[in-house]
Amino acid sequence: MALEDYLPDMERCSQCSYCKWIPFDQVKSWRFADGCPSIAYNNFLSYSARGRFAVALSLLNKQSTYTDRVVDIIYKCTTCGSCDVSDKICRYNLEPLEMIQELKIRAVEDDQVLPAHTAVIEHLKKENNMMMAPAAERGDWAKGLDVKIIPVEKAEVLFHAGCNYSNDKDLQATARTALTILKNAGVDVGIMGNEELCCGGRAYDTGYKEEFTRLAEKNIKAWKAAGVKTIVTPCADGYHTIMRLYPRLGVNFEVYHTVQYFDRLIKEGKIKLSKSVPMRVTYHDPCHLGRRGEPYIPWEGKEKKVKGQVIVYEPRKPRYNGAWGVYEPPRDILKSIPGIELVEMERIKEYAWCCGAGGGTREAYPDFSNWTATERIEEAKATGAEALVTACPWCERNFIDAVNSTGADIKVMDITDLIKQAI
Amino acid sequence: MVLKREIYKEFENIVGANNISDDEALLDSYRYPLMHTAIHLGPYYRVYTPRGEAVLLPGSAEEVQAIVKLCNKHKVRVKASSTFWSAWGYPMEDNTIQLDMRRMNRILEIDEKNMFAVVEPHVIGATLQAEAMKHGLNTHIHGPGASCSCLASATALNGLGPDTAYLGHHSENMIGAEWVMPDGEMVRVGSVGSGLGWFYSEGPGPSLKGLIRGMVGSMGSMGVFTKCAIKLHPWPGPAPFPTDGRPPAYKAVLPDNLMSYTLGFPDWEAWADSCYLIWEAGIGYVAHRQFNMFGRDLKGAMVRILSDPTKTLGDIVELLKDPEVQKMTEDMKRDYQIVLAGMTPRDIEWQEKVLDRILEKTGGWKVEGMLEPNLHDWSLLYMLRLGHKNLNLVYGGGYDGCFGIGGTPDFATTGEYPRVEQATDFKKEWEKKGNIVAAGGDGMMGGIGGMGGGGMTLWENFTHFDPHDKASTEGTYEFFNATSEYGKQKGWGPGMEKMNDYARWTDGRTTPKEIRNKILSAGGQPEALRYQRKFYETFNPNDLGDSYYRTLD
Repeated sequence: MALEDYLPDMERCSQCSYCKWIPFDQVKSWRFADGCPSIAYNNFLSYSARGRFAVALSLLNKQSTYTDRVVDIIYKCTTCGSCDVSDKICRYNLEPLEMIQELKIRAVEDDQVLPAHTAVIEHLKKENNMMMAPAAERGDWAKGLDVKIIPVEKAEVLFHAGCNYSNDKDLQATARTALTILKNAGVDVGIMGNEELCCGGRAYDTGYKEEFTRLAEKNIKAWKAAGVKTIVTPCADGYHTIMRLYPRLGVNFEVYHTVQYFDRLIKEGKIKLSKSVPMRVTYHDPCHLGRRGEPYIPWEGKEKKVKGQVIVYEPRKPRYNGAWGVYEPPRDILKSIPGIELVEMERIKEYAWCCGAGGGTREAYPDFSNWTATERIEEAKATGAEALVTACPWCERNFIDAVNSTGADIKVMDITDLIKQAI
Repeated sequence: MVLKREIYKEFENIVGANNISDDEALLDSYRYPLMHTAIHLGPYYRVYTPRGEAVLLPGSAEEVQAIVKLCNKHKVRVKASSTFWSAWGYPMEDNTIQLDMRRMNRILEIDEKNMFAVVEPHVIGATLQAEAMKHGLNTHIHGPGASCSCLASATALNGLGPDTAYLGHHSENMIGAEWVMPDGEMVRVGSVGSGLGWFYSEGPGPSLKGLIRGMVGSMGSMGVFTKCAIKLHPWPGPAPFPTDGRPPAYKAVLPDNLMSYTLGFPDWEAWADSCYLIWEAGIGYVAHRQFNMFGRDLKGAMVRILSDPTKTLGDIVELLKDPEVQKMTEDMKRDYQIVLAGMTPRDIEWQEKVLDRILEKTGGWKVEGMLEPNLHDWSLLYMLRLGHKNLNLVYGGGYDGCFGIGGTPDFATTGEYPRVEQATDFKKEWEKKGNIVAAGGDGMMGGIGGMGGGGMTLWENFTHFDPHDKASTEGTYEFFNATSEYGKQKGWGPGMEKMNDYARWTDGRTTPKEIRNKILSAGGQPEALRYQRKFYETFNPNDLGDSYYRTLD
């Protein structure tokens, strides 16, 4: 789809402002009613989905041109998809998130880019990771683990660690733990080691579609050559990319996030959680695992009208609105750990507040990104939890940084580390 | 860019560089497209409200005051809006700055004992309701729904909504306001103005409620309201709502003292009788003909779609063939929704008995299909939170109301062939042309109890179209023209479809004076509008407002 394909959406946007808030049926307080971090931080209407529809239309109609402000509006969006969920409470024929992604892609095509993004993308092109790390160190996180290296060895399941877990030294232990748990549960699992590449998801959400495609095609080729059919990843971003974006290139791998896989293994009795972990925790739904983590349904079709002017699609179009994201497996895991008390924040599941790390905002707008994470930390603290638990390294990294910068008294943990404590 | 840099700089000095912009694209996100929810003019295909000269985000009443004073100094028009739901809140002409009141978003006080809240402009229905419920209180949520500013409704607009039957009308609920007058002076209206706190809008203290808002409000054309106090009402339910389910089919299983019913009636006379009997008995917390906005023929299918997360609009054609849906649709033909809220177990028991007696007396019924638990719990949450209000745009993105026959229940329902059916037949014929949604002619939605819990019902006939589709938009405009003519012939008075023609014209700007005078002179009480002209001249000496304030020379 091109930006122009969203012209109908731009003109059909009804200016209702639902995109700014969590679904109103879920509003429990004044404090935690915001849904879109971008408008909440920047305040001008232009920083909401509604505003971005208008800005895109203005650009397409040549009523305005790129300015520093316009570039700021385009990129200062975490592409968390909160707007998409709330808009679709009342609208069945608008795709704000897709439009925003296309707006970023168009800006990149028009060479309206941010230096912070350029630096990361240039590195990505050379070293195939988002972390400014050498490609040769990609597999270092697994050193010392007795694990199969694909494709030298064959394995039923490919464990794709992702850029963050591979290169962020604070987080590598979680990847090692996850892999060890899988192995100990009897899963025939392997990794790509230094041959693992970035999935490309972050590049896509930042507007660098070409770079996404390059990485996706390389991954697909390597995985096909290695006979990979099943992929397990601890990275919510990677999960979303492989499940939702790769099928657009005509391939389908069976992909699981580790929380899904662990949940299954726990329920099958292959992971036994016997040790008590006395802790009050709250769980943060990563956007890419939650509202953006719905199963992909292939669709190719066109709009048509029935009953005069009711817009429908031929054939029936899948509706992505966060209804079927991965919400229960992580909660079931937490509930199955002895001693854990799970307390929910006000904004959860499809209407969870974003961690602030997505869409290239962590790289280009550290203040905005940190503010967004801090808002979530405040919400977590309001539950009285000792720890904010999540299932995505991007979220975890951003929360850790927010806690460090604010001195908030709360632990940030990956769910994998709690499982380890309970085994 | 019309604002001179030095003037821009003066504004910037008030709000700070982060809170002002005159970027063209940014300003274009503050233009309202008049091709869809135009409320109530047009629709005009690809016509937008004028681009403002700058947008400012004030953070306090003092900043607002300084801005307005500067506007007077430089003769720059000013238009404030909080939640920007409709064309009212946007500039009418060049040389206008837009105030976006978003940063003033605090609930300053909830006085549980005296049952009121003090709010800033960007507090919306959903958040005020959520906070009020923690105190066993509730706020009226006006027609546009939970997304909209409470203050805007209370100080500057009509303020009517589905729960008006019990929770009042915001013109009644407003018990004081802080007003930055058009000349930049500030006045606190009502008892707060004499330092006695927020308890009454007519004093002791300046009694200006009639001037600042009257019945319909000044729609942002007479200064800026920076806070107001709103009367709250009892809430006999939990806080927060125990919302459950997958989007968009959220529902809430609430205690048995909160019940939602869709009532159906054998004929319109029985329908009207039930309204009178409900008012007489004083039962009901919310009473509104709500789901009929989807259209008489489509509403049964639509409630099925909306209450089931697996369904989309693509299911509508199949659902319309479903015998169960057909039966429910027929049962709901002459309907409205009512929520009963018992303050005690005896109260709900009594209200239930009264409702049953009213149905017995009128031959009405509780629509069986809507009693199914999933639909009941969906409908209950829908009516109480009004968080799905913009479903009026669900079909194609555009809607507007026409006819808008307001009056006693008898007004539209009595006679050999009631007006509601005449309006239905008329619209149904136009639906055949294909430019508007074929919904069965009757998309009439409105309150059952518009004033003080009784006295008025409203019949706004919702018309749905596709604002991206030129033929649909222009066809809708033709239909509205025909509707106005039809209403005139029938002696029904002006319809809602052209309610704002007096203010904003086909180019999105101020209606030419001759046309404006003609429209307003033809309406009721032109002398009152001449009187209002004197108000305008006195309070807005530099003419920095706009034509939404109704005046005649």
